[in-house]
Amino acid sequence: MRAALEAAGLGVRYRRAWALRDCSLSVPAGRVAALVGPNGAGKTTLMHAAVGLLRPALGSVRVRGEAAFVAQDKPLYDGFTVAETLSFGRRTNSRWDGTSAADRLGRLGVPLGRKVGGLSGGQRAQVAITLALARRPDLLILDEPLANLDPLARHDVMRTVMAEVAERELTVLLSSHVVADLEETCDWLVVLNGGRLQVSGDIEDLLGEHLVLTGPADLIDEPPGGAPGEPPRGAPGEPPGGAWDRGRGLAGGVAGGPVVVSASRTGRQVSLLARGEPPRDPRWQVRRPGLDELVMGHLRGPGPAALPRLTGVNG
Amino acid sequence: MIDFRLDRGSGVSTYLQLVHQVKQALRLGTLRPGDQLPTAREVVESLAINPNTVLKAYRELEREGLVEGRPGMGTFVREGVGGATLADHTRLRRGLEAWVREARDAGLDHEDLRALFAVVLTDVTRDGAGSAGGGAGSAGGGAASGSGGTGAGRKEAGPSRREEGGPSRREESGPSGQEGVA
Amino acid sequence: MIWVTWRQHRAQILVTGGFLALLGLLLLGSAVEAGVYVAGHAPPGCPGPAVACGEVEVGLAYRYEAVYTVFGWMPLVLPALIGAFWGAPLLGREYERGTHRLAWTQSVPVWRWLAVKLALLGGAVVAGGLLLSAMVSLWRPVFRAGVDSTFGNIGVFNMVGVAPAAWWLYAFALGTLAGALFRRTLPAMALVVAGVAATMFTLLQVSDHYAEPVRAELSGTVLLDDPDARLVRGAWVEPSGREVAEPPAGSCPRRADAGRSSRNAEAWQECLFAKGYRYAVYYHPPARFWRFQWTEAGILVLASGALGGLAVRRTLRRPG
Repeated sequence: MRAALEAAGLGVRYRRAWALRDCSLSVPAGRVAALVGPNGAGKTTLMHAAVGLLRPALGSVRVRGEAAFVAQDKPLYDGFTVAETLSFGRRTNSRWDGTSAADRLGRLGVPLGRKVGGLSGGQRAQVAITLALARRPDLLILDEPLANLDPLARHDVMRTVMAEVAERELTVLLSSHVVADLEETCDWLVVLNGGRLQVSGDIEDLLGEHLVLTGPADLIDEPPGGAPGEPPRGAPGEPPGGAWDRGRGLAGGVAGGPVVVSASRTGRQVSLLARGEPPRDPRWQVRRPGLDELVMGHLRGPGPAALPRLTGVNG
Repeated sequence: MIDFRLDRGSGVSTYLQLVHQVKQALRLGTLRPGDQLPTAREVVESLAINPNTVLKAYRELEREGLVEGRPGMGTFVREGVGGATLADHTRLRRGLEAWVREARDAGLDHEDLRALFAVVLTDVTRDGAGSAGGGAGSAGGGAASGSGGTGAGRKEAGPSRREEGGPSRREESGPSGQEGVA
Repeated sequence: MIWVTWRQHRAQILVTGGFLALLGLLLLGSAVEAGVYVAGHAPPGCPGPAVACGEVEVGLAYRYEAVYTVFGWMPLVLPALIGAFWGAPLLGREYERGTHRLAWTQSVPVWRWLAVKLALLGGAVVAGGLLLSAMVSLWRPVFRAGVDSTFGNIGVFNMVGVAPAAWWLYAFALGTLAGALFRRTLPAMALVVAGVAATMFTLLQVSDHYAEPVRAELSGTVLLDDPDARLVRGAWVEPSGREVAEPPAGSCPRRADAGRSSRNAEAWQECLFAKGYRYAVYYHPPARFWRFQWTEAGILVLASGALGGLAVRRTLRRPG
C-alpha cells in the first residue's frame, strides 16, 4: 500500500536528550491515523519533523505530496480578521481552494469579518483546520486538535475533518492523549512512549491480534525481577514480545502462543494483555480488548524480561 | 431517508450499529426498496466518524443482499428485499403477544422466555428455514456472543452466509481480518 | 508574501511614516519661523561665522531649545526604536505566539519568507533613514549656515548623509537577530537598545582611525580656527621638535584655576609659547565628511549583513 508518511530510523534530539529515537513507521494513504502516547512521548516532535519544523539528527521522515499542519493551540494571527486569515493562506500557498474554505466557514457560522483573537475556541479550531484543508493537502497533520475544546466543538471539528476524508483521498495523522476521542474516527494506530515507537498498525488488525486474558494468578510464573502490576520502568521502549519469544519461549514451549504485553494482578486473579493465539488452558477467560485497553496495555507494558510467563498453556 | 444515531456507550462497534439501524429501518418500513442510503460524506458529517466505517457497513449490507451500490449514484435498497411490511409486522406481533401470554400462563418467566426463543431461533436457522425477520433473536445472539465470541468467531465461515442470525452476528463481532479463514 | 508583510507590519510602517511626517512638519515650521526671526533680528550676513552673528545664534538656540533637545537625542533614540519595534518583533513575536508554526508550514519555504520580509522591511528602514537625513539636511542650514558644516558634531554627523539609513538598518538587523535568539520580543527589545548604545559608543572611539589625522603645529594658541574639524588629540612640541605629552614640570609654573576662569591655564600656555614651545593638533578636516560617512555606513552595513545572516541561519537550522 502507498505510504503517505514514512519514517525510517528517525531520531530527533533536543540538546542532549533524545525526543525520538529509532522510529520507523509508515502510515498508508487514505488512513486516519491516531498518534497516541503520554505527554512527552514524542508525538509533537514526530509531527514537527514531518512538516520540516525540526531537522532529524538521524534517519529521515518523508511525506508523499503536500502536508498541511495545524500545531497545538491552533496558532493564528490574532490581529487578522478571518477573511484576512484566508487571504494569508491564499498568498502563502501554491494550491488554494478559497471558495470552499469561505463556504465551510459560512456554514459553520464563523463571521468572516471578526478578528481571529475574538473567536471562540471552537471557531478558532475551525478556522485553523479550514486554512489547512483549503490547501488541498495529501496529508493533514493535526497536533492535539481536540484539546481545550468543549464536546460540541470536538464533534464539529471531527465532522469537518471526516467529511473531507470522505470526499477525497486525504490521509490524516492526529495526536491525542485521550484515546476515547479517536475511537470512532481513526483506523490506524501509532503508539509512542518515551520517544520510542511501540505499536503501529491497522486498528482492526491490532484489536484482532490482541487478547485480554483473565485467570487465576497461579497460571503465570512470577518474573525474576518483580511482581506483575508493578512493572519496573527500566526499559520502556523494548519491542513487546521480542526478547520473550526468543530468549525464554512460553512455558510449555508452544510456538505461536500468546506473548504477554502487560500484566496486572489483583489478589488471586491476574489480567494480561497478550498478543497471538489464545492459550488452550480452559481456566483462562479470553476476550478481545477495546482500543483504550490496547493502548494502555502497551503504554504500561514494561520490558519483556520483567513480564510473567504463562505456566498453564500446555498443562 | 434514514437518520443514523450512535450510542457511544453501548460497546457495539460503530459499523454494526449502522448495519443494525438500516435493518431496523427496513423492518419498520421507514426504508423501502429503491430508497437511497445517505452518502458516506453525509453520514460522516452528522456523526463525525471515519468514512471507512460507513463504507464497511454498506459493504456488509451489500454482502447480505439488502442494498446495492450503483457506481456514481450511491447506495440503494434493493428491489424485492424481503423486509416485512408494516402490516406483516403488526400481524406477527399480535401472534407473538398471544404466544407470550400463553407461556406466562404456563409459568415461564422472563429469562425462560428469552432462552426458549433463542433456542428455537437457532434451531430453525440451522435447519435452513430462517427468515429475515428475526429481530429479537438477533439481539439475543449478540448478547450471548459477548463471552465466547472470539473462539467461536474464528471457526465461522462468514462470507457464504446470506441471512442474518445468531451465528452470523458472532462472526461479525470477531476480528474482521480473520473472516476469510474457514 | 508582499501583502503578508504589509499586513503584519503595517502598524510599524504607518507609525514610523507618521512620525517622519510629524517631524517634517516640526522642522518645516521651525525653519519658516526661524527664517522670519533671522530676517527681523540678524545683521546682514547672518547666520554666519562673523562675530556679530553670535547674538542671533544665542537667540535662536534659546528660542528652539526644545527642538534642539529633541534633535540631540534623535541619533541614539531613533535607531533604538527602529530596532525595538521593527527588528525585535519580526521573529520574536512569531516565536512568542507560536505563529511561526503557522507561517513556516505553508508552502512558501522559510528561506523565502525570511528573504521577502528582510528585504522589504530592511528597504523600508533604509528609505526612512534617508528621508530623515534629507529633511535634516534641508532644515539645518536655516540655523547654522556658514557656522559649521555637519562634520565636527558627531550627533549631527549621524543625522545627515547616509549615516541614519545605515544606523537604522543596523538596529533592524540587530533586533531581528535578538528576536531569533531570545524567541521573545521584550528581551530582544532590551538587547537592541543596549546594543545600539554600545555600538554608537564604540564607533565614536573607532571613528578617529577612519583616516590618518592631519597634523597642524600652532603657536600662540591651542585652538584650531576651524570649528568644524574633528579633533583627535593634541600634544606640546618642545623647541627641539620633540613631542611630549606634558612639558617638563620646571619649564613654566602652573597654578590651578578657580571656578570657571581659565586665566591661570592661559598664562601657563603663554609662558610655554614664549619659551619656544608649540602645540601640535591632530584632527580630521571637514573635507573628509563623505569619506567618514561611507566608512561608517560601510561598517554598519557589513555588520547588518552579518547579523541578518546569523538570524537567517539560526532560523533555518531550527525553525520549530
